[in-house]
Amino acid sequence: MSISTPGGPERRPTVVSTGKKPAAGRPAAGDKPAGGKSGAGKGAPRPTAGGKGRKPVAPVKVSQGRAWGPIALFVAVGVLAVGIIGWGAWAVYKGSKPWQDRADAISGVVDFRKKDKDLVQGGKHQQGPIKYDVLPPVAGPHNASWQNCMGDVYDAPIANEHAVHSLEHGTVWITYRPDLPADQVAKLKEKVQGKEKLMLSPFEGLDKPISLQAWGFQLKVDNADDGRIDEFIKTLRVNASVEGPNANCAQGVTATGTTPRDMGNQMDQPTQ
Amino acid sequence: MTAPVTTDPELDETAADDGRPAARRYGLLAVALAVVVGLLLGYAGGLLTPTLTRPGEGSPEAGFARDMTTHHAQAVEMGLMAFQQGEDPEVRQIGGDIATGQQGEIGTMQTWLRSWKLDPTGDQAPMAWMPDGARSVKNGLMPGMATPEEMAKLRSAKGREFDLLFLQMMIKHHIGGVHMLDAVLKQGHDDDVLAVAQVMKNTQQTDLTNLVAAQKRLGGQP
Repeated sequence: MSISTPGGPERRPTVVSTGKKPAAGRPAAGDKPAGGKSGAGKGAPRPTAGGKGRKPVAPVKVSQGRAWGPIALFVAVGVLAVGIIGWGAWAVYKGSKPWQDRADAISGVVDFRKKDKDLVQGGKHQQGPIKYDVLPPVAGPHNASWQNCMGDVYDAPIANEHAVHSLEHGTVWITYRPDLPADQVAKLKEKVQGKEKLMLSPFEGLDKPISLQAWGFQLKVDNADDGRIDEFIKTLRVNASVEGPNANCAQGVTATGTTPRDMGNQMDQPTQ
Repeated sequence: MTAPVTTDPELDETAADDGRPAARRYGLLAVALAVVVGLLLGYAGGLLTPTLTRPGEGSPEAGFARDMTTHHAQAVEMGLMAFQQGEDPEVRQIGGDIATGQQGEIGTMQTWLRSWKLDPTGDQAPMAWMPDGARSVKNGLMPGMATPEEMAKLRSAKGREFDLLFLQMMIKHHIGGVHMLDAVLKQGHDDDVLAVAQVMKNTQQTDLTNLVAAQKRLGGQP
């Protein structure tokens, strides 16, 4: 660093050997006052004493030259440390951002958990037809049997009373207006088929071509290529379940038709 | 950390003698600062290490946990059908065993994903975590999985016809499952995942022996 020091080259070797000792314990700060002192004290112009002598010429310049290096290093290390800590904290914060926040961040999503807390509390079992205020329904009381939600693709409307129970089990239910073009329906089918906790069905009277439901959440979009569909599925499938990932989607109603079937009929049917 | 700061070759000992008090003050400050920065770095490192070392979104472990959840879910569905619709007592028993066993394993895999701060499901194509995975996917279905038509057929089958169809489908399902388990055992790094995958493989191989024996006893085609 301070190459400007007079008599530098010859002196360096001796100084290096002595300078090493205090190096580990007392860093840069040590030579700043030292430089200042020598400047204020003596004006002896010749460094004839060799290694032990003071540095007499242009002391202020020398001391500044020595100080900047350590300061720069300290600042650099500090910035690096703060950067690492900051990045780490940000990564941890972002990584643990709860799915609810991520769901709310999807543009156009309606969060009924905030809008209507009573509606999204655990659903009560209730027999027979049920009137839902939000259509397609997103939560509320429902029949004891759920609609089979093992990636089932239904080609006709299904009963809300069963579908809501599937939502409670963590299903994302995709509904589309019956006039949705076949190629669009095919795209939706591809997203759903064979994947548990997903199901697809047409729904009469939708105000938008496609509507996605999870327990307490709804998103309406205009076409099957909308990127928010995948985002909605990834964020809310299973996560939105009020009963956790082990809630069953099999053994449900596999028939279509908007009239709910009561538990008795469903359970009687398959047994020997 | 502070090492580079002290390498000034011009350090003058005699001068340091004169400036002792001031030097000590600055030195202390520097040491204190270094300690604080060191502690903060250590803390950040400790905070970050689990995040960096646990399986991430694209890891084979996460892909396995998600895909095997889907694979298992269908076995649970078939097992529950066997428990309810099976005619042969052993078919009903095996069905119930597979359904409860694999549902429990789904719980384990979902708990991993939760503790890794990952979503329970992914947006990757099935089997994308396996190097040769895409080739083993047929009609979007993982190895051994039944098509919707096959499931509908099983759902409506009765008596001995059901038993034989179930055995045939479950044997195929388990062979596919073992194939996936072999892949994660080869590619995985997480000790817990490896241990559980080995137990899953043991179970499915034992099941296979019994399923094949039952199929033979009932006069079914392998």
